[in-house]
Amino acid sequence: MVPETTPSLQIQQLVELLAVVSTLPDEASAVRGAVERAAQALEAEVAAVVVDGRLAASVGFPAGRAPEADLIAVAHRQRAYVEVPGLGVCHALSASWGGTHPGHLVLARYADEPFSIEERSLVRGMARVLELTLTMLRTLAAEHRMRQRSERQARENEQLAGSLAVHNRLLQHLFDIQRAISRRLPLKQILDLITAAAHTLLGDEVVRLWLRDEHDPELVKLQSFVGLRPELAKRLPAVPLADAGVAGEAILTDRVVVQAYREPVIDRLTEGGTTACMAAPVHESGQVTGSLLVASYRPDRGYSTADEQTLRAFAGHVSIALTDATTVDRMYQAFHDSLTGLASRGLFLDRLGQQLADAEHDGTRVALLFVDLDRFKPVNDTLGHAAGDELLMVIADRLRSQVRAGDLAARLGGDEFAVMLTGLTSSGPAVAVAERVVSALSQPMVVGQHRFQVNASVGIALSQPGRPDTADLVRRADVAMYHAKRRGGGRYELFADGMRHALATD
Amino acid sequence: MSSELARKRRWMGVGRSDLADSRAAALAAGREALAGGAGDAPKLLIAFSAIGHDAAAVLDGLTGLADGAPVLGCSTHGEIGPGGPRDGGVTVAALGGPGFAVTTATAKDVTGRQREAGAEVAQCARELDGWPHRVLLLLTDGLVRDQESVLRGAYGVLGASVPLFGGAAADGWRMTGAYLLGDGRVLSGAVVAATIASEAPLAVSVRHGYHRLGQPMIVTGAANGRVYTLDDRPALDVYLDRLGAPPEAYTDPAAFTAFALPRPLGIQRRSGVEARNLSTEVDLEGRSIGGGGAIDHGGLTWAMTGDEESILAATDAACADALAALAGRRPVGMLTLSCAALRAVLGDEGIRREGERLARWAGDVPFAGFYTYGEIARVRGIDGFHNQTFVVLALA
Repeated sequence: MVPETTPSLQIQQLVELLAVVSTLPDEASAVRGAVERAAQALEAEVAAVVVDGRLAASVGFPAGRAPEADLIAVAHRQRAYVEVPGLGVCHALSASWGGTHPGHLVLARYADEPFSIEERSLVRGMARVLELTLTMLRTLAAEHRMRQRSERQARENEQLAGSLAVHNRLLQHLFDIQRAISRRLPLKQILDLITAAAHTLLGDEVVRLWLRDEHDPELVKLQSFVGLRPELAKRLPAVPLADAGVAGEAILTDRVVVQAYREPVIDRLTEGGTTACMAAPVHESGQVTGSLLVASYRPDRGYSTADEQTLRAFAGHVSIALTDATTVDRMYQAFHDSLTGLASRGLFLDRLGQQLADAEHDGTRVALLFVDLDRFKPVNDTLGHAAGDELLMVIADRLRSQVRAGDLAARLGGDEFAVMLTGLTSSGPAVAVAERVVSALSQPMVVGQHRFQVNASVGIALSQPGRPDTADLVRRADVAMYHAKRRGGGRYELFADGMRHALATD
Repeated sequence: MSSELARKRRWMGVGRSDLADSRAAALAAGREALAGGAGDAPKLLIAFSAIGHDAAAVLDGLTGLADGAPVLGCSTHGEIGPGGPRDGGVTVAALGGPGFAVTTATAKDVTGRQREAGAEVAQCARELDGWPHRVLLLLTDGLVRDQESVLRGAYGVLGASVPLFGGAAADGWRMTGAYLLGDGRVLSGAVVAATIASEAPLAVSVRHGYHRLGQPMIVTGAANGRVYTLDDRPALDVYLDRLGAPPEAYTDPAAFTAFALPRPLGIQRRSGVEARNLSTEVDLEGRSIGGGGAIDHGGLTWAMTGDEESILAATDAACADALAALAGRRPVGMLTLSCAALRAVLGDEGIRREGERLARWAGDVPFAGFYTYGEIARVRGIDGFHNQTFVVLALA
């Protein structure tokens, strides 16, 4: 099962990487710090950075024996594995950046499974953070050298302080965005935070985030913006990808596009008169899915490499937010029964394990209600699966309406359901819920033209202090359920020690 | 017949003594450990001895028995071995046989140069490059900070090719100074190491028995190994609030330590949550928390709790993992290290039961270890310094 924390964990890892490398004083230590932090985040045995075609740093190999050619081959995606002494063949992946000093972050891990899509997205985010940090450190180093040579120290001091301030502001914005993502703020709010930050930091009057329409990928829709004509803001426009200008080009080419003249598609959505613009692609789970665009009205506006990197960083954060939101959706799907929307068997057992451990600590007890339908199979057999499915949905609704807030109802499979109650000190509340469930499920149900009566047999078991054993609790509830069934169904039974014996001697 | 032969090629023996005289205790424990080799000269002696013992006398006694083999060791917060946990004694493990080879190294004055120290001692593994199985056993001084860097230094030299295992010397909660034995001397602020190379598998495992409580807290302010704010509020208060601590834990250092000892902070990692001990470095004025290893800005953390059952389940799991990883080979011995802080949860009866579990896993195989101020076990990834865990090295 995917750990519940996976998406936030990736954001956390990115924040940690940013926190670590942004405090390191020079390129060599930033590269080394990034290599170790990336390996730690992905629990990888090997990490390396390749800059300008050479191995700049690595961990995981005996000192002096890193296989440079193999790591460079991984960096260039010519191979997806690397041989690590002491481990054997490890899955490997890389993420690259361009610019004046192109580089690659390489990771390799000894595991059965290759890196997941989420991890690939994390590594891309890390590469972006590293690129930004290295560019900033180089700028600072260059300015430092200049300052040492120059006589006009005062002016250059000012420049140096200016670069540092921009760097710090960028980091602060990225921290804010990452925290918003890890706190699971609504996606729209996060995207607005990113466009606002791009507006503040780059100083451009117009910011647009376009995303491909999920039903028609040839259409892009405006998702978030700064500087839109007020009458358009109420109903966000959609345009064909082919007519989206620079924003569309960034999507189609999957690269940053800079344009030093006016852009009709932007002007149509603003008061007109923009002079220059730049767009960077954004990705979701590895696929280009939109672009982030900035545009200016200033006649002298040009975009430097540093501006391009800043936009890339914000676009990268849009990608993380989108991937994170999809992962949450996917996890919801994985953890919930697709027919009834109740918790899946996996989620239920996982939560049960957690609650049993917590109950041990709190000195409370957990009750498990095992619910088995008495006359479901004949319905399914005679009227077909469609009617059966519809009936299951009705049953799920009734079950949901009878449990208390905080209780968890699940479909374990077929016509088996379960309910978990926590924070109990006696069996009273569990018996009350079981009574309500039995009564609710014994009421006639109408599906299409048919009227059904399907009773339920419910077995109740309470956790035993000092024995937080999921399997044992499930077994006892199951035994109690069979007891209820044997006594005619349409009733509940509370597990008692004698029951196992009674079943065994049948 | 074949297992008989295998045992002779590699052997481990363990001896224990409660004698008050340090030299006599070392001699008694050492002789008992050497009996495991039935007269064969040892390749390595490892001593786990109580802080109250005269370290020089322990070293002197064992050096006399070692027949030229290196003697490593450290002070403890209790010794682990057959017969149950003890306080105030000397427990000795001896390794020997032609199927083992050992080299040792020592780094002194490691504070401020932890990474170099780790790299220095790791060099001793390179002399045994040709052996099919190696492990670097590290004993560090539990009162030296930033132990992770020692391991990073060692990993930088060895990479993933050699597992790391060991623990941080303890001083019975006096917090005034632990000692290490290595290079024929009694040391503090040092790292002592032995590479154990073997013709048969060596397996390292680590487990903890804590689980997360409630919602996560984000580290919003951290520097120099300390956490200043969690969710933008003073970290100490957030942590205590989350666990419903008694009022005195907010104001009295001793009450805080007692409260925090069994309630580590959990740090989210890819394969699970790692526990960090908060009990040793109390900061009631600055309201920050720290100790037991780095916690970084942006990290996702949880309040954690555990009890005897969950902790002993982790002990079982660690033993099972290590023994299973021997690929069907019978173990000749085990080194078993547990965290000193776990004693606060388990109590005297609990650690006795922990000892019984260990004895059950070991059967007639000798085992030795101690209660540490930090456990070392690099199993996957690049990290290997742990808090509140149980670590095992099984030697086939």
